[in-house]
Amino acid sequence: MREAGGAAESGDRGEDRRPADEEALFSALLEDSAEELYEHAPCGYLTTLMDGQIVKVNSTLLDWLGYERGKLVGRKRFSELLTVGGRLYHETHFAPLLRMQGEISAIALELKTADGSRLPVMVTSRVKTGSDGQPLLIRTTILDARDRRAYEVELLRARQEADQERDRLKLLNSTLQKTLLPPALANVPGLDVAAYYHIASVEEVGGDFYDLFPLAAGTWGLFLGDVCGKGAAAAAVTSLARYTLRAAAVYDPDPAAVLTNLNTVLNHEYNGTDPRFCTVIFGLLTPDADRGGFRITLASGGHPPALLMRADGTADYLPTPGGQLIGVLPDADIATTTVHLAVGDTLLLHTDGLTEAHTNAGSEGRYGDDALLAFGRALAPTTASAVIGAVRDLLDTFGSGVDDDTAVLAVHVPRPTADEPR
Amino acid sequence: MIRHLTLRTRTTAKGAVIELTGELDHRTAPEVRAALPGAGLEAGQQLVLDLAGLTFCDSSGITVLLAARNHARAADASIALAAVPDHLQRIFRVVGLEHVFPTHPTAGAAEAAWQPPTS
Repeated sequence: MREAGGAAESGDRGEDRRPADEEALFSALLEDSAEELYEHAPCGYLTTLMDGQIVKVNSTLLDWLGYERGKLVGRKRFSELLTVGGRLYHETHFAPLLRMQGEISAIALELKTADGSRLPVMVTSRVKTGSDGQPLLIRTTILDARDRRAYEVELLRARQEADQERDRLKLLNSTLQKTLLPPALANVPGLDVAAYYHIASVEEVGGDFYDLFPLAAGTWGLFLGDVCGKGAAAAAVTSLARYTLRAAAVYDPDPAAVLTNLNTVLNHEYNGTDPRFCTVIFGLLTPDADRGGFRITLASGGHPPALLMRADGTADYLPTPGGQLIGVLPDADIATTTVHLAVGDTLLLHTDGLTEAHTNAGSEGRYGDDALLAFGRALAPTTASAVIGAVRDLLDTFGSGVDDDTAVLAVHVPRPTADEPR
Repeated sequence: MIRHLTLRTRTTAKGAVIELTGELDHRTAPEVRAALPGAGLEAGQQLVLDLAGLTFCDSSGITVLLAARNHARAADASIALAAVPDHLQRIFRVVGLEHVFPTHPTAGAAEAAWQPPTS
């Protein structure tokens, strides 16, 4: 829009916004010299000789650093503007690469300002060569990286926080895991016992459990089981199963009755669309006064069979066919079997993390029941600690192929020492 | 090591058929559990899980089969398994579930065996 006619045409350019005048205005604005652009560019410019001596520096960089021009030009080298760490990096990486490639881009460094504070920057340098290809000067562009550094610090802090959270979670998981296992197995006179728990992932609590504990009249209870699933929800079931088993065994130590009680408790607790179940093997150990050794009655609720490795070097599974997993069906069938553990015999209970470990050999790429039986046959006769040690070694050879937790519990009847009554 | 499961659901007049191909374990089990409500099962119908292509099933897989059984029961429907592979039959024997699920050699046989409920 035009204002007040002739007055504008007579030359008051500041007030007029005609296109022609706008052009003139822009050209006046853009008329800043290359020198002006250099001095007040939104980045720092620095020119040095090949030895680093500063020969030219723009006002922007001087402002950032708080130096007078005379304090730098002809007086300092570029590396003298760097922190000690930056100077080292400059000597060992920056300068050699620049000489070799003629150019180096976006290197994060810190400059020391006149008042001693530090300025994070991004530095790009290029060597200017003469017409004969000889290097003459180094031109350097310096970008203020304070915002970027603040962002990186924030990222780093967030990452450290996440790491700490993960450490806390791992600690919580391992603590929770420990509460699901006995701190130490009971000492049974005339019996060697050993157990091992392999944690497949520190990120999640597994659902395997075992225990061995005294019952009335010189008898002992033991169990080993596997709650389906992982994590806190499975751990809650594991805890419930473990304490229910111990309480039920005190109430009625008959192994089938113990598992029937556990089945009732779990079935009442978890019967919705998120069924929770476990497989358990429960054993009642009674010293055999007539034959020596122990008698053990095993009840199985859908659990893989125990492996008996005898003193004579043979080994077999102790099948408990028909036993149903615990917690799903209102009236689960429990199957039992009774065997005599003679001197030199070893009984191994395991969870299926072992037999379902991924291997290169074996059927379906899993270790499998047949391989475990062969393992037991090769090992027999053995002891509790020897078989647990061998299983640990075996799990080590599987490495990351063990993707589920694995619990193993072994009992062994040692030869009685001379001063011990049979 | 490639481990995955493909899940295909189709609806017949007699109820939903879910085909499971691949490995059913703790990684893939949640997919199947999540698919159950969308299978569109009506009272009196039969849910068939076709396991012909199932190469592996662990305890989490068993849980899902049991969840499917509970799901069908809650809908007043029945459940049947078709083409149960040998390895799964072995697990069923170990955990005592071999008589809990009605089984048929094929999905077709399961559909043919279905009888409308008499009410």
